[in-house]
Amino acid sequence: MSLNQTFSDVSGQVVGRVAMLAPRPSRFVGAKADLGAGLVRSWIWTRLAYQDIKERYRGSVLGPFWVTLTNLIMVAAMGTIYSELFHVEVATYVPYIMTGILIWQFISGMINEGCSTFTNAQDVIQQVPMPFSVQAYRVVYRNLIILAHNAVIIPFGLALFKVPIGWNIIEIVPAFVVLSLNGLWICMLLGMLSTRFRDIPPIVGNVVQVLFFLTPIFWPLDAVPNMKQVLALNPFFAWIDVARAPLLGVTPEPTSWPILLCCTAAGALVSFLFFVRFRERIAYWL
Amino acid sequence: MASIYLHNVGVDFPIYQAGARSLKKMLIAGTTHGNLARDAHDRVMVRALHDVTLEIENSERIGLIGANGAGKTTLLKVLAGIYKPTNGQIDILGHTTALINSSVGLNPDATGRENIILRGLYMDIHPRDMRERIDQVAEFTELGTYLDMPVRTYSAGMMVRLAFAVSTSFRPEILILDEWLAAGDAQFLGKAQRRMEEFVTRSSILVLASHSFELIEQWCTRAVYLKDGLVEVIGPVDEVVARYREDARAS
Repeated sequence: MSLNQTFSDVSGQVVGRVAMLAPRPSRFVGAKADLGAGLVRSWIWTRLAYQDIKERYRGSVLGPFWVTLTNLIMVAAMGTIYSELFHVEVATYVPYIMTGILIWQFISGMINEGCSTFTNAQDVIQQVPMPFSVQAYRVVYRNLIILAHNAVIIPFGLALFKVPIGWNIIEIVPAFVVLSLNGLWICMLLGMLSTRFRDIPPIVGNVVQVLFFLTPIFWPLDAVPNMKQVLALNPFFAWIDVARAPLLGVTPEPTSWPILLCCTAAGALVSFLFFVRFRERIAYWL
Repeated sequence: MASIYLHNVGVDFPIYQAGARSLKKMLIAGTTHGNLARDAHDRVMVRALHDVTLEIENSERIGLIGANGAGKTTLLKVLAGIYKPTNGQIDILGHTTALINSSVGLNPDATGRENIILRGLYMDIHPRDMRERIDQVAEFTELGTYLDMPVRTYSAGMMVRLAFAVSTSFRPEILILDEWLAAGDAQFLGKAQRRMEEFVTRSSILVLASHSFELIEQWCTRAVYLKDGLVEVIGPVDEVVARYREDARAS
């Protein structure tokens, strides 16, 4: 087709020239631009995330602190019984499950809610042009806000049981940054898959539930000395370990950071390739 | 400068839900105006738009008419960038503001003022900029003390006022409006029309879909008649409306 060729509407009237049409940007450029445009619109997703939490707890006195309270009770109850069960000191065990459960809730929250990244925003996506990535940033940020509410019990717990906090507590900063990055690719990938295949969310929900029991969160790795080497390879152990160890004043397992970083790189790559390929289909799948 | 070019644009919706086959049979029996086809994977597709070629230039006000299911809203969504066409090419110059639905982004429990800010988010307007203009927006809506009441107490027409005022508070280069605008009363429509005229004299584009010929005749400089996803006629408003009326009478 020549660039100067004209095209006409149904009545035969010439309405334009082919040269007027800009070349369609590639999917890769489109996907990259979407992620960037979403990121710089932090003023949208931070507000939408706050709005989500306000909606969820509308009319409630404690609001998101209800979860904090539930966690407090659960940690106290499990701490007393399971420390006996695993023959561990209460003073070591309670800080261990407290931090482990809160970090797991952050990770599993992003995985579970990641499935509804786009389906929950159906109205917006079908009515208003907005970068798709805004919805993923929103889910991750929402879970960070919930984490911040839940985390208020941590300093008290650590102080109460005199956990020896070291300088390496600052390692929680890179740990949560990298965990959030993982949350981002999970939201993008699971969000797209769940929009297309509506059976994905319940499957993910089941898997996450099983992972909670398979990952050393409420049981210490030392409770299973024979399988310790194998269980330490569970990627989710690494995810928890990098954030939990510094809070407990110990060093993460040497394998934890490498495993987490490999997950981040591989996951981000797969998720991005999916996004490049299917971004334009999301609105059609809803 | 704003412009819109569509060249052979087509939009096919895949139907994934179970029972697509029976749905297909039902549709083929002639209950709606949609076109159905099958793609290479033998999936059932609804052809919402087919071979739409259209050029819209600076300062034009285009009216879209057609029966239910003719593809008006789909075309608006293509123009808004919500649906990437499955066929053909589209080239849009200028920032697009889409008002497909008046209630999107409104929180029924928040006040009118809070919702002005909130709705602005969805229109890509930073809360800081919106706050600067909030008084102007409030004035345009003429909702007075209702602006401090929760939006769930609003009527459809009041919601339209709020949504329109927010979306046009920052002069949009391309404004896309679906039929809901007609829910506004005559006085408000007059006011809205004056605002639109002001915009288009400063080289913006308006695309409006409506079943109200009166509205189209008052607001638009050109009309497009869509039928079963195809452009039937493009031309001066009175001619296109006359053609549509003829068709409606014939069927």
